Amino acid sequence: MYTRSAMLLAVLLALPGAAALGQMSRATLVKQSDIIFIGTVTQVGAVAAPEVTASNRTVVVHVDQVLQKPAAVALCAGDSVTVQTAQPGSLKPGSQATFYTTGWIFGQGVAVREVGHELGHSPVVAADQQELVARARLDMNDADLKAHMEKAAVVVAGRVEQVRPAEFAAAPGGAGGAHRTRISEHDPQWQEAIIQVQDGIKGAQAGEQVVVRFPTSLDVAWVGTPRFTVGQEGTFVLHKDSTSGSPNAMLAGRSVPAYTALHKVDVLSRQDATRVRALIRKP
Amino acid sequence: MIVATVALYAACEGATRQAPPAKVAGVRVVDLIPASLSGETWQDAEPFLALYASNAQLMAASAFTPNPGGSASATAPIFVSNDGGDTWTLRNTLPSEGMTADITHAAGATPPVLYSGILKVPGVPLNELKASDFFSPATMTLQASRADVDQPFVRTAPTASADRVYVGLNDFDAPDGRTATVDVSLDGGATYRSRRIETRATLGQNGPSVRPAVAQDHTVYVAYFGWRSTAGSTVTSDVVVVRDDSGATGATPPFRDLLDPSDHLPGRLVATHVTIPWSNAPTLGQERIGSTLSIAVHPLHSDTLYLAWADRAGTGDIYTVHVRRSTDRGVTWSGDLRTVTNATNASLAVSVSGTVGLLYQQVTGSDSSSRWVTRLEQSRDGFATHQDAVLATVPANAPPLQFLPYIGDYNGLLSRGDQFLGVFSASNAPDSTNFPQGVVYHRRVDFATHRLLDGSGATVAVSIDPFFFSVPVLP
Repeated sequence: MYTRSAMLLAVLLALPGAAALGQMSRATLVKQSDIIFIGTVTQVGAVAAPEVTASNRTVVVHVDQVLQKPAAVALCAGDSVTVQTAQPGSLKPGSQATFYTTGWIFGQGVAVREVGHELGHSPVVAADQQELVARARLDMNDADLKAHMEKAAVVVAGRVEQVRPAEFAAAPGGAGGAHRTRISEHDPQWQEAIIQVQDGIKGAQAGEQVVVRFPTSLDVAWVGTPRFTVGQEGTFVLHKDSTSGSPNAMLAGRSVPAYTALHKVDVLSRQDATRVRALIRKP
Repeated sequence: MIVATVALYAACEGATRQAPPAKVAGVRVVDLIPASLSGETWQDAEPFLALYASNAQLMAASAFTPNPGGSASATAPIFVSNDGGDTWTLRNTLPSEGMTADITHAAGATPPVLYSGILKVPGVPLNELKASDFFSPATMTLQASRADVDQPFVRTAPTASADRVYVGLNDFDAPDGRTATVDVSLDGGATYRSRRIETRATLGQNGPSVRPAVAQDHTVYVAYFGWRSTAGSTVTSDVVVVRDDSGATGATPPFRDLLDPSDHLPGRLVATHVTIPWSNAPTLGQERIGSTLSIAVHPLHSDTLYLAWADRAGTGDIYTVHVRRSTDRGVTWSGDLRTVTNATNASLAVSVSGTVGLLYQQVTGSDSSSRWVTRLEQSRDGFATHQDAVLATVPANAPPLQFLPYIGDYNGLLSRGDQFLGVFSASNAPDSTNFPQGVVYHRRVDFATHRLLDGSGATVAVSIDPFFFSVPVLP
């Protein structure tokens, strides 16, 4: 979804000589930002669009180059943006900086809230920095993925052998309660994927089967959640099912734990298994 | 009078800047998407609107519009206007990851206080929220929360001491399968108490739509579906109205002031054994169906109220809207004053002069030529006659759905002074003939070539946008 000069962004991340940015690393700033641009302060205590109220924290910045933004946002070099600064008085007219920001008010113009900024001239970017881009993005994503996997019960590489309607079972000893059927437009319409484990990375071993519940509903509450199909191969980050109301499923006549994979990073490619294993081992 | 009006605000190229057209008396239709989000392609369905009685300039609106920052964002947005709906800005102030899974809201007595009920992402718990100032960048304050709830529908009533808030909802944790519930706050949202309004046996739950309406004398009506039995995907339901004459403030259980003569139980059975086609799949112009319900009370004369719902009439229809009226506080009801075949998202409002407005969205034509027609009807004589305004007529088969609801399980209609004001969602395909009353786009658009444009001038795919409208009340 993000467009524009991701390449430039990678260079920012990769520049070894870049100055420290307050208490935050550049990677942290990038992670917390969704709009990043290089710009020049033109006014302080002012705003660029009428829908924002001027204060001692607002500055108007002329955009020199957009490094990252959501596709939906209309922001280009030459635009003026209102920036709510993190600290009043931290920027003066004429200051050029790289601004790490999040969207604040979207109206006739864009107003953003500063996460941080890096004073100085914009980096000159060569056109062949694609590898740096990939590396930088991977670094950011890896940290998130590692944290996500640490919360997971099972991480496996495998193949979806079967997809079936969900079979809810009581937990051993009767705990966990029965799944309740409700008529709701938000009904997830659970199905279950039976995954043959080929590579047990965490919590399961090759040769086992695991049951993964997933929503098939088109409802807005489930938009973007991963879906499974027979024959699908991948690396799966699985979490104990705390969503359906029934933590156990049936497999070959036995009650077994049910898992879910509701986040988009829960389903990765088969080729990601090596990277995932390395991340788990990484201190 | 047909006026095709377009406002262009070029965000990047500096070229195509066209002044907004001169205002014409009458109908306004405004696409809520601002210029700075010209690249957006999301399905901004299920819009809602909040107005202030004391300040005509301030409004809040919502839809299934995501935080432009993406799904990892900690907040979701609302639209706000400070110029009476002519322009809108998007502000990320709802505590929900990227988007909500349901949202309605209503104004407090003092602008710009706003109350909202959302199903929060992830997990879709109910959050009952308040903003002291909806223009503030601060995240709305959580006042109450719980799981297992559907379709929170917020209405408010001012008092001298505090705002009263009524949140109709379907509470799956209610006892005995009587899930129709109103969360009532009599202290500006500081505390809520869940009030069960179903008194009869159900099939295990009520329908998702529980709709309050409040008159200025603090009479509160609530409409709900009394689901009695089901066969496959078809539900047999009663359409029920309860009433509380003192704003649900009494010591006795509230919403028991209107009894049905058949069983002397609270809740007037306005229609019985209607057939609700419950379809959580594309069924009517890519939209799902099954929960259309609306109620409106005359703000100054609480004896008069209108009710609209949709069911399957069995005449070859898919889904038919019915409108009925009571002029004696819900004790007796008319037959159908109005029926609209293959329509959904009926929303009612009554002006201070007693004119009723009916907003609905109807599929006309068939197959590739089918269209979603959004229409506001007004009547002063119980729909013996009515004045119609077609607000939009757009292809029903495009754009393809991204999720359900396609355009919404509801939309919004309110009345203030001599205006009906509302919101609906529809295709934003930039074709002037789609908007017979005229339309204003603030996002970049080239009507001559029927193209939406992003900030760099590249073509943007057609999607579903929320549209605000105002229509003068019949004199």
